[in-house]
Amino acid sequence: MSEAVAALPARANRRARGFTWLMAWRNLWRNPRRTWLTAGGIAFASSLVTMAMALQAGTYQSMITGSTGFYLGQAQINHTDYELEEKLEQTLPNATELMRQLDDIAGLRVAPRVQAFALASVGERSFGAAVVGVDFAAEAQVVGFFDRVHVGVLPLAADEVVVGEAMARNLGAGIGDELVLLGAAKEGGIGALALRISGLFSSGQIELDRTLVFTHLATVQNGFALGDEVHALVLRVDEVEQLPAYQRQIELLLPERAVFRPWQQLLPEVVQGIELDRITALLFYGALLILVTFSVVNTFIMVVFERTREFGMLLALGTKPSLIMRLVQAEAFIMWILGVSIGLLLSNVAVAWAAAVGIPLGGIEETMQQYYMPSRLYPAITFASISLAPVALLLGTQLAALLVTLRIHRLQPVTALRAE
Amino acid sequence: MSQPVVVCKGVTKTYQKEAVPVHALRGVDFVVHPGEFVSLSGPSGSGKSTLLNIIGGLDRPDSGSVVVDEVDYGGLSESALAELRLHKLGFVFQAYNLIPVLSALENVEFIMQLQGVPAAERQGRAEDVLTKLGLGEMIHRRPGEMSGGQQQRVAVARAIASDPVLLLADEPSANLDSRTTEELLELLKRLNQDNGMTIITATHDPMVMSYATRQVKLRDGAIEHDDAALPA
Repeated sequence: MSEAVAALPARANRRARGFTWLMAWRNLWRNPRRTWLTAGGIAFASSLVTMAMALQAGTYQSMITGSTGFYLGQAQINHTDYELEEKLEQTLPNATELMRQLDDIAGLRVAPRVQAFALASVGERSFGAAVVGVDFAAEAQVVGFFDRVHVGVLPLAADEVVVGEAMARNLGAGIGDELVLLGAAKEGGIGALALRISGLFSSGQIELDRTLVFTHLATVQNGFALGDEVHALVLRVDEVEQLPAYQRQIELLLPERAVFRPWQQLLPEVVQGIELDRITALLFYGALLILVTFSVVNTFIMVVFERTREFGMLLALGTKPSLIMRLVQAEAFIMWILGVSIGLLLSNVAVAWAAAVGIPLGGIEETMQQYYMPSRLYPAITFASISLAPVALLLGTQLAALLVTLRIHRLQPVTALRAE
Repeated sequence: MSQPVVVCKGVTKTYQKEAVPVHALRGVDFVVHPGEFVSLSGPSGSGKSTLLNIIGGLDRPDSGSVVVDEVDYGGLSESALAELRLHKLGFVFQAYNLIPVLSALENVEFIMQLQGVPAAERQGRAEDVLTKLGLGEMIHRRPGEMSGGQQQRVAVARAIASDPVLLLADEPSANLDSRTTEELLELLKRLNQDNGMTIITATHDPMVMSYATRQVKLRDGAIEHDDAALPA
């Protein structure tokens, strides 16, 4: 390069930023219909994805809240082998002392449980049952299972029991009848209890209603020679998202062969269901966003094609191709801002309204109950729901504009100026 | 005598048109001195626009050399050529070629902004040039709101605002009526005579040729007639 050209301010083109944005804005309104159509596509995609993701987030929250608050709790402390075998011997020793230590953790609620397997008999009818000993007052702080006792009352006396409706029906038993439970106690002895049915529950899950009976913790501990041992300490904190922070505190207190199991381990089917739904939805969102990106590509192909002569003139005047590319990128960016702003505004208004009133599940309410879902869905605005579509569309629109404008580098001013 | 603004030596250019070679320029030697108003004329296909484009750095010769304001185009990259066009040359195109979304003032400012001229200075210079060209009342109008003649005057204003060493005009009167053409030519004449601006125009309009101080006629890619070659 000659000295004379080298002496020119080679970076001068970079100073044209103000004009770039001004021209980009005005260029968009040379064809308002096309701009609105493209921005409308971006708005549609971003609002649809945002609303769908908010609904998903709300659904997942409901599923997690519903499933953890139903029976198993947000987390449990168990013997390390209990998850696999659920044997009577796999207990946590010195449960009273451990619970006392756990009580010192602010915001943590704990409910102890023991569980033994027995033959449940009323008169001459017998069925296999899981006998669960609980602290009913503590349970009320941790899960909502005992709200489902809709006939009779929760056990008050030590020899009272509530049973599932299906089991009561199978046994031909009712309120006030005596239920005899016979099973193996710890250390090889016989565990035997004779209890009076004080209430019936209907959980909505037939397997539980057919197999579970609940009585006081001490009754089962005494009847099955468990002493001060429990099989599970069921845990709850205010927000399930806080659980990992609590886990670190709790694990410091655990004795040997005891393990903290968060809800993800207790309810793997819920985790898998959420993951499956998330992946399916992401595929759908991806397809939708790619479609919209193609429409943006189409718009910018038209833009570059229609303005070839203008670009030729700009090149002839000494404008660098990179500045023209920045101009088109700026147009894509403004189009994205327009579309995403409208999309987010509409979707967030809709989501805020739905989050306030809830979306009724109508006829599928009972089916959804099996998946721990409430009768109404409440969408939740999350960072992911409001950022995924905008970020993907920003990348898509910028990539579209970039791909289309790469040919500007190959454009010859003379040829471009002759373009019709 | 001062250094020439343009020196072309043995410039050739051949295009392929449907696989048939078309010799647009066949070894053209051409020199332009500061302050000249040169018209390149000739029938279609004579090579006048090709020569103008090569002098303007918009096209490259197949062989030969081009030196403008002491800068030899040989070996310059596309980027360096763009810088040269931006800082040393002014262009007036046949179809005005203004930026449609910018006002007259902004169109004139645009080049200066690319050159890095500070905002206040470039705005003052743009207003000044437009006013001198009789467009003071319409500096905020966009090209679509102006007549062809007014647009061409804005194009001239844009070309001269940054004081280029050479003004190149390709068929500047092609889309203008005769009265507007005359106004434009008077303007170019004033720029040439009063400001000493060097102008080269490619045209087949006799009126444009009549305003030029030097006539160069091309035919079949070669100079057929050049006033400069005549004895004074």
